[in-house]
Amino acid sequence: MDFLKCMIFNAEEAHNIVKECIEGILGKVDYNHNKVNQWTATIVEQSLTHLVKLGKTYKYIVTCAVMQKSGAGLHTASSCFWDTTTDGTCTVRWENRTMNCIVNVFAIAVVL
Amino acid sequence: PVNFLRFRIFSPRRFRSSTVKECIHAILKENLANVQYNPEETPQLTRSLSDAIKDRLKEEGFHRYKMVVQVVIGEQRGEGVNMAARCFWDADTDNYAQDVFMNDSLFCVVAAFGCFYY
Repeated sequence: MDFLKCMIFNAEEAHNIVKECIEGILGKVDYNHNKVNQWTATIVEQSLTHLVKLGKTYKYIVTCAVMQKSGAGLHTASSCFWDTTTDGTCTVRWENRTMNCIVNVFAIAVVL
Repeated sequence: PVNFLRFRIFSPRRFRSSTVKECIHAILKENLANVQYNPEETPQLTRSLSDAIKDRLKEEGFHRYKMVVQVVIGEQRGEGVNMAARCFWDADTDNYAQDVFMNDSLFCVVAAFGCFYY
C-alpha cells in the first residue's frame, strides 16, 4: 500500500507547496523589472527543493511565468506524452495588484 | 548497465535540443506568421499549437522519452514578462528545447522537455 501511495502524484500537496513559495516571494512586493528575473528563479528553485524533499521517485519540471498587469492577455497550454497513471501535473495561478504569476509543475515517475 | 551506457553515447534517438528547436520553430512560423492577437481565438490556438508540437515530436520517434510541451502566448503591449524553468532530472539523458516567436501583436514562448524512462 505504501508503495502504491508513493507512486501517485499528489497534486494538492504540490499546489500548497508552490502557493506558499509564491506568497513568500511575491506576497509583499510590486512588479519591478530589475528584480523579476531573480524572483522567478527563486520561485522555481524553492518549489523544486520542497517537492524533491517529499522523497518520491519523480523527476520534476517546474516552470514559472510572471507578467506585469497591463490589461494584456496571456494564455498558456501544455500537452504531455506520458503515463497518466503515474505522472501528473499541477498549475498554480496567483495574482496581486501589479502582476500575475503562473507556476506549472510536471511530475514524471521514475520506474527502475 | 552496459546497454544503457551505449544508449547514452550512440543513440540517434536522443532528445536533442537542436532537432527539437527546429521542429518547434517550423510549426510556430507556419501557424503564427500573420496571426493577430484575439482574446477569443487565442486560447484555442494555444491548445492546438501545443498539441501540434507534441504530435510532431512523437513522430520524431524519440525512443523511450516522455515529453512535456508548454506553450505561452501573450499580447504585445509593452508589459514586462519573465519566465523561468528548473528541472530535477538526469542531465545525461533528459533535455529541453525552447523557442520564441514574436510578431507585432503577440509573442509566443514554447518549451519542450524530454524525460527518459529507463
